[in-house]
Amino acid sequence: MNIPFQLTLYCKKLIFPCQSHSIIGHKSYFVRNKIIEVSIELCYAYKGMVARLGSWFKTKVKNFLYASGFLLTLLRESVFFIKHRQVGFRVLVMQILFTAVEALGIISLISLSLGAVIIIQGISILPKFGQGNLIYTILIIVITRELGPILTAFIIIARSGTAIATELGNMVVSHEIEAYLSVGINPFSYLLVPRFLGVIFSMMLLTVYFNLFGLFGSYVVTQFVKPIQFLEYFRSLLSTMEVVDIISSLIKSIVFGIIIGFIATYQGFQVQVASTEIPQIAIKAVGQGFVLCILANALITMIYYI
Amino acid sequence: MEDIIRLEKISILSQNFEVLHKVSARLPRGKSTIVMGPSGCGKSTLLKVAAGIMIPESGQVFWEEKNLLKLSEKKTAVFRRCNGFVFQDSALWANKSMFENLALPLQFYCRDWSRAEIEHRVFSLLDIMNLSSQSHLRPAQLSYGERKLVSFLRALVLKPSIIFMDEPTLSVDHEMSERMFKIIKELKAEGCSIIAVTHDSNLISLIADYLLIVKSGYIIEEGNFEQVRRSTNPEVSKILSFVLGEAATYDQDLLDLLNG
Repeated sequence: MNIPFQLTLYCKKLIFPCQSHSIIGHKSYFVRNKIIEVSIELCYAYKGMVARLGSWFKTKVKNFLYASGFLLTLLRESVFFIKHRQVGFRVLVMQILFTAVEALGIISLISLSLGAVIIIQGISILPKFGQGNLIYTILIIVITRELGPILTAFIIIARSGTAIATELGNMVVSHEIEAYLSVGINPFSYLLVPRFLGVIFSMMLLTVYFNLFGLFGSYVVTQFVKPIQFLEYFRSLLSTMEVVDIISSLIKSIVFGIIIGFIATYQGFQVQVASTEIPQIAIKAVGQGFVLCILANALITMIYYI
Repeated sequence: MEDIIRLEKISILSQNFEVLHKVSARLPRGKSTIVMGPSGCGKSTLLKVAAGIMIPESGQVFWEEKNLLKLSEKKTAVFRRCNGFVFQDSALWANKSMFENLALPLQFYCRDWSRAEIEHRVFSLLDIMNLSSQSHLRPAQLSYGERKLVSFLRALVLKPSIIFMDEPTLSVDHEMSERMFKIIKELKAEGCSIIAVTHDSNLISLIADYLLIVKSGYIIEEGNFEQVRRSTNPEVSKILSFVLGEAATYDQDLLDLLNG
């Protein structure tokens, strides 16, 4: 008797829409038989729970389909961008300038530091196990294949992903998107596609830059710890590096670029009416960007080793 | 009268609130249609739906008997090319200067134009409102009135045949309003279809041919200016007297008597 009643109370708290029905059922049957009353309450509660679950599932499916349609339109418009939308080239150039060129400083610092840390740790530890030559393999795996693309993606999410999402959100609130529509400029092809492509190009450029700078930076640091000849260092590095390492790095950079560009533009357009929604979508853009990039990174790495 | 735009059973929901309830209306070609009604009754929404900026939950919008909501991208671009929209809050592009706000539609549609041609067109418009010297300023550096003027000029930049105006003279000083009236009168004389939401009695008396009276998401009266002005519907009289003054609802004979 106790358990179902507690369950009923729990359900009444949990399922707000059926609370009024539960109270009616409670009153009708309380005097005659308490056990029947409880079962009716539970019946309503379950009914409400199923309805809410159904509604939640329906919304999720609807959102997923909308997001899929959004991504497909973005990809389709991107294909036709070069052919049709010359006016948007300036936006593309500005996006690359903001996302890639202005991020060079922070990318240099991070890649140099990372390269330095790996080389110092490697030089200190690996010779003790007689595996001093493994340092080049570790450098390539860590910088080129793994941390290079993912750290670049994190930096782009934090800098450009949030900037794109908030800028688009502000445009929605101030009716600027409607103004584009009113003069016949498709916001998708003029605003979204150049930003989307700009992020992908920037992601590729910055990943290549990160890899080069990381590897070069590690050489510079080596000179302070254990000087190696320039030619010897790069000969060993290049003999260890495989084409597949470069391809893997580039594939990751393209996939991360697509994810960041899509999430930022999609979230920016999720703003409806109020400027208070803008910080919320910025948080979502960062959170979803990080999660999807990490998952994609794991997936691509797994595919590589399968 | 031939219709340039026709609305059929338009319903608009905003945050679960029905702004327009199965509204049907016709906007005659080459005439000036004024949409009137109390604040928050759905006038601006109606205007945006007619301009194809807002997609209704249900209903159809016809432009020259073609369903606007089912037009291909190319045909939609043709429709956009021939219309201009003045927004209530100006809706200027914040990251562009005044010049760029006016030049962008030209860059988009007149791709064979040289920079000099674009500059000539933009500055000829800015000159009308004495804004040429400030063409490099961003919208945030302009007053509300100036933003409204730029929004008005942006709507004119492609020489539209349909112009939608949402409170065009709001926050604009008397002298500039007069200049706007002059341009609007010229547009009307050239056969441009004008659809305006306004509470400005001067503008209404100057151009109104056709009236739409909106209340709580419904069109309560629709017809020629004189016909609506003589409506016996008390709600219509109340709205007209509120906007145009008590005299607007008097019979023409009485007005003649008052004028001697």
